[in-house]
Amino acid sequence: MAELDDIIHQPLRLKIMAALNALPAATPGLEFSRLKKLTGATDGNLGAHIETLAKAGYVAVEKAFVGKRPQTTVTATAAGRGAFARHVATLQEIIAASERQP
Amino acid sequence: MDIDSREAASALSDISDISRRVRQSTIYQLSGLMLIMWGALTFAGYVASYLSPRHAGYGWIAVYVAGIVGTIVISPLNRARSGIRTFDIRMLAAFLLFIAVGMFSSVWLGHFTPRQMGTFWPLYFMMVYTIVGLWVGLAFVAIGLSIIALTLIGYFFVGGAFDLWMAFVNGGGLIVGGLWMRRD
Repeated sequence: MAELDDIIHQPLRLKIMAALNALPAATPGLEFSRLKKLTGATDGNLGAHIETLAKAGYVAVEKAFVGKRPQTTVTATAAGRGAFARHVATLQEIIAASERQP
Repeated sequence: MDIDSREAASALSDISDISRRVRQSTIYQLSGLMLIMWGALTFAGYVASYLSPRHAGYGWIAVYVAGIVGTIVISPLNRARSGIRTFDIRMLAAFLLFIAVGMFSSVWLGHFTPRQMGTFWPLYFMMVYTIVGLWVGLAFVAIGLSIIALTLIGYFFVGGAFDLWMAFVNGGGLIVGGLWMRRD
């Protein structure tokens, strides 16, 4: 059985990756404020976990100004999408294996 | 890292829940923009009907044409941002069929008065809107039922300023609903 991804498995990072993977690959990612609302995280906590995912190459962070307002957009990279898909497959394998046990 | 099947199921449930919320939030963002556009056009249509009742029919044709053109223009923009198609030929066909049935019922079968027309169309639109909301999100149901209730209050209790009432209730209601859907 494949190993779970330690970086993705942390609960908030799992939510971040799930949210970003719910969007089609060719589209821009999610704004920080929308991600914050979807995950229910605080600014600091969310920022720290996004940084961890970015260091692993799983997400890309883009900062820009919309008018005078700074806007941070987070997008899942191809590597991130692959890692997330493998992580989900492993979770499903764990459940399937437990159902096969007598 | 070792986890048991219960923890794995819990993680998958979290993933499923947040995916559903992202999809709903995306639908709200796109629909909100459409609602704001249709709300502004509807507001203009009712104000024009109030100011020039004789030409109200032409005004509403202009509103529908502008609405369809606006929807066609906004759709590729939405698709590029979200990957979700908000307008295609089947939607245009459904919209035209919807309008045709409404015209058949209100003009040919019903011979409605202008006041009844001004009541029938929002009720007709908002009924479909409310039904769609049962599948895509309760915000649609809340907005649809609120506008239906205010429309009926206007029909029965508001006198000569009915078109102005409807401009704020229907047009304004759609704009406020759209802004609410798009809030962060």
